[in-house]
Amino acid sequence: MHEARSEVEFDALVVGGGIAGCEAALNIANNGYTVLLVEKDLSIGGKMILLSKVFPTLDCGACITTPKVSEIARHTRITILTGSEVGSISESDNHRFKAGIVKHPRYVVDEDCTGCQLCEEACPVNVSDQYQFHLVGRKAAYIPFSIASPRIAAIDMENCTLCGACEKVCPTKCIDFTQEEEHWTVSVKTVVIATGFELFDPLGMPRYGFGLYKNVITSMQMERQLAPTRPFHTVLRPGDGKMPDRIAYVLCTGSRDTSVGNPICSQICCMYSIKQAQLLMGALPMADVTIYYIDIRAFGKGFNEFYEQALGMGVNFVKGKIGKIIEKDNGNLLLRYEDVSTGKLHEAEHDLVVLSVGVLPNKSMQSVFQDLSLLEDTYHFIKQDDPILNPARTSIEGVFVAGTATGPMDIPDSILSAGTASAEAISHIIQSQ
Amino acid sequence: MEVVKGQTFRYRREKYEVPAEAKEQLKYYVKIKKAILDALKENELTIAQLSEILSLPKHEVVYYLMTLIKYGFVQVGAIDEMDEYYTYKRLK
Ligand SMILES: Cc1cc2nc3c(=O)[nH]c(=O)nc-3n(C[C@H](O)[C@H](O)[C@H](O)COP(=O)(O)OP(=O)(O)OC[C@H]3O[C@@H](n4cnc5c(N)ncnc54)[C@H](O)[C@@H]3O)c2cc1C
Ligand code: SF4
Repeated sequence: MHEARSEVEFDALVVGGGIAGCEAALNIANNGYTVLLVEKDLSIGGKMILLSKVFPTLDCGACITTPKVSEIARHTRITILTGSEVGSISESDNHRFKAGIVKHPRYVVDEDCTGCQLCEEACPVNVSDQYQFHLVGRKAAYIPFSIASPRIAAIDMENCTLCGACEKVCPTKCIDFTQEEEHWTVSVKTVVIATGFELFDPLGMPRYGFGLYKNVITSMQMERQLAPTRPFHTVLRPGDGKMPDRIAYVLCTGSRDTSVGNPICSQICCMYSIKQAQLLMGALPMADVTIYYIDIRAFGKGFNEFYEQALGMGVNFVKGKIGKIIEKDNGNLLLRYEDVSTGKLHEAEHDLVVLSVGVLPNKSMQSVFQDLSLLEDTYHFIKQDDPILNPARTSIEGVFVAGTATGPMDIPDSILSAGTASAEAISHIIQSQ
Repeated sequence: MEVVKGQTFRYRREKYEVPAEAKEQLKYYVKIKKAILDALKENELTIAQLSEILSLPKHEVVYYLMTLIKYGFVQVGAIDEMDEYYTYKRLK
């Protein structure tokens, strides 16, 4: 059983509420048009809202994301559906698109939740916290993270034992276990796809030992360890709680590597690793940080200076290709690598290894369009009509693309790309009137 | 069944089974939580010491201990002379 809503009209549908989707929605709404923003996660903000600080300015990620996210949440012309997915999009009459949207139940009445977290405190369940990239636990009744938007609770029904503890303590009685899926049908004049990217899963590279060796972690796990709302009280090895002092970064993990099916450069991992190395030297002043790289891609404004700053701080850069990682009995890790400049093989010992995982395409929109063909490029990102002259247009007239849904890029470029997509979308709305 | 506000979990319980894995997971967490808090009753302990007392791999101790810190049951103690390992103490 599910609740069906009658057809609702908006000027624009934005799919994906990361920084690119948020920026596009805001631009369109600020120009007087109505926007429906559909986000599959429980909060908008995408990957950016979970970052510690951002390169190259080292601004606090949360501090620069939160004002934007709350501006969107308060905007009278933007309707946000979180925990929701676009099931289908088809062409309808009068140059409009018809979209079918599924809103998954949150089991909490959004308007009544005050975010007091009493349900969270009462919930006896503990499950792995996906927003801390599985380094700690969370409850089954939970607020995704402290700066989530909307900052309201959700019940994780897969792990809930239906004990009723959350409902008993909720002061506004807003927990509602009778909720079912809601199905919306919306009619829009234009669509902006901003579904972002997926991270490479290093389980696909067994020679690095991720999953097996607990002191091999991903860059996103390190990003969380460096954030103010970190999973641990300081930076620690997940394997035994030791404060690490010889940390290695393995760049290009899952990028520029045909053996894992991703031949292209992810563009961001050199810079975010250099950023994390600098933050680590601040957090653990006695630590040695070594970055194993093939090439350093520091192409943006201020990026090379940022790299030189890291060199000046004592970050060790080794031009070396990692062959294999082996764990020692004490949890330390031996990195076997080829020195690219001499061709010689070496071995180095570290006590924590961070895999700088790459950017992969998010293919979730490919099956959504019906009777319309959304083309993808060679690398399975959404194909731009012309990457130089029309970077926001797709193979479907009236459907635009923003941010990393088109390919790897950093935050400033995602925002620029969203600016282009929203300008195109506004122009399309005006022309279709 | 009549739906009563504040008791809607009863309605869901009538209609759906609680997944067996969810029940197992809760049981395991309750057991580990009790074991860690009991072990920390008298002394501040390191992760290695907890691992030995509980016969639990160190990475599992890290995961549950950090979770118990997050929930306000455990507090961080002191770090050793080598600046490597902390001790942890019971809070509640
Ligand atoms: C470890 C790490 C550190 C980084 N550090 C920096 C940094 O310091 N500086 C910097 O400039 N960049 C940094 N980046 C890059 C930055 O994260 C990206 O540039 C930025 O997040 C791209 O934003 P986006 O909106 O395009 O995509 P995303 O952040 O991926 O957002 C996409 C959104 O769409 C949603 N979505 C996906 N599919 C669907 C669907 N089918 N329906 C509805 N919603 C959907 C997702 O849930 C998500 O909310 C870092 C990246 C990583 C991995
Ligand atoms: S940005 Fe750097 S680490 Fe990432 S794939 Fe490109 S060269 Fe490798």
